[in-house]
Amino acid sequence: MNAKRYLLAGPCLALALAMMAPGLATAKGGDVPNWQPVASEKLIKLPANYLKKSLDHDFARSALSAAIQDTDGEIGLKGQTLEDLRGAIEQAEGELAVELRHQFLAQKREYINLMKRKADLRQRHMETKQRTLERLLKKLSQEKGAMTPVRVQLVAQQQQARERFQGSLAKVDLSVLAVSAVPESKYAQEYATNMGAVEQLVAAIRQHPMNAQGEMAGGPATKGDFIRQMLADTQAAVAILEQEQNILGYMAKLVALDAMALSEQVMDGQLTDSDIPVTASPAAAVKYFVN
Amino acid sequence: MTSKLKIVLPLAALLAATSLAAPVQADTLANMERERALLIETMLDGGMTPAERHVRLESGQRRLLDLERMVLRDDKLTGRNTPQVLRAFANYDLTFLVHASAEKNRTMADTWLAQLGLSTQSVMSAKRGRR
Repeated sequence: MNAKRYLLAGPCLALALAMMAPGLATAKGGDVPNWQPVASEKLIKLPANYLKKSLDHDFARSALSAAIQDTDGEIGLKGQTLEDLRGAIEQAEGELAVELRHQFLAQKREYINLMKRKADLRQRHMETKQRTLERLLKKLSQEKGAMTPVRVQLVAQQQQARERFQGSLAKVDLSVLAVSAVPESKYAQEYATNMGAVEQLVAAIRQHPMNAQGEMAGGPATKGDFIRQMLADTQAAVAILEQEQNILGYMAKLVALDAMALSEQVMDGQLTDSDIPVTASPAAAVKYFVN
Repeated sequence: MTSKLKIVLPLAALLAATSLAAPVQADTLANMERERALLIETMLDGGMTPAERHVRLESGQRRLLDLERMVLRDDKLTGRNTPQVLRAFANYDLTFLVHASAEKNRTMADTWLAQLGLSTQSVMSAKRGRR
């Protein structure tokens, strides 16, 4: 009879799970695989719709992503084991049923551990992504913030100069080039030739579907809008993850209660089979004294 | 492998496109300033015959015309608030001498002197004296 084992194992399992349950949301492994994206200038320069793809691609190549996938695979296998054990328990009787229930509880505990590990990894992923997006947003706003009054004035002057130049281009050509005996320069000739090609290419780029500006509800989105939207999505995922961890906590508590119930059930059975005499009351012994 | 390529290839193409777009380092403004200085020197050179000056100015003007256009079309200069760029765009007439002169149907010397506050009238009315 393995009853003693269950008497010990049941409460231990319950205790382990009960201790784990409240700490699920904050528990972290010591040696957890990492993902270290860099909020580089290149990432900022990428078009908005490519930013997400680039981040996702970088994550897919990380050790953290591999660990999540591995854990996912283990969870799938563990789910299958639980399903098999549940079927076996329904058909088993007596001591085998108790043994299988114990196994079932142990496997459930492992399943919860795996789910907790996956949740921790996903939380790490979301937190890292959130930090990266925040850094990107900060860099983006720094770039905009670098427009000091002097620089704003300079850009305005440059704009005016270009407009004035464009406006007087034909007149300048006429007055300088027509009068001059020197032939048109190589720069002027090649610039005019290249300009036609450049205009064609620019038109093709403008019409290219991959060049389309990201759209959000309410109109076209800027890069800042897009990053803020990604940040909001990540925060929503973190909130959902916390809710999932609460669910895991409840699952762990339920397994702990099941373990205690199994332990008590085994203890009750053992007490019933015991040779220890039931303590009798004096009233029960009266028959020995009355003739 | 194919899914990796699907992501890697466009990214690589995009990054290659942005790196290809990086312009060749050439300080257009410095080149223009140098050419303009030489042209002004030619204008003021008293040791030259008028015909010689005319020939030199004409060829110099063509070179400066191209250089001015290079500066005006140079996107690298947009928003670059170095003292040189700030000074250059603060006064169009003085910096883009060929364009400003042609626009006003004046000679480069006239435009330049006018920008410095020197006119025939002011020179003629000037008196010799001690400061």
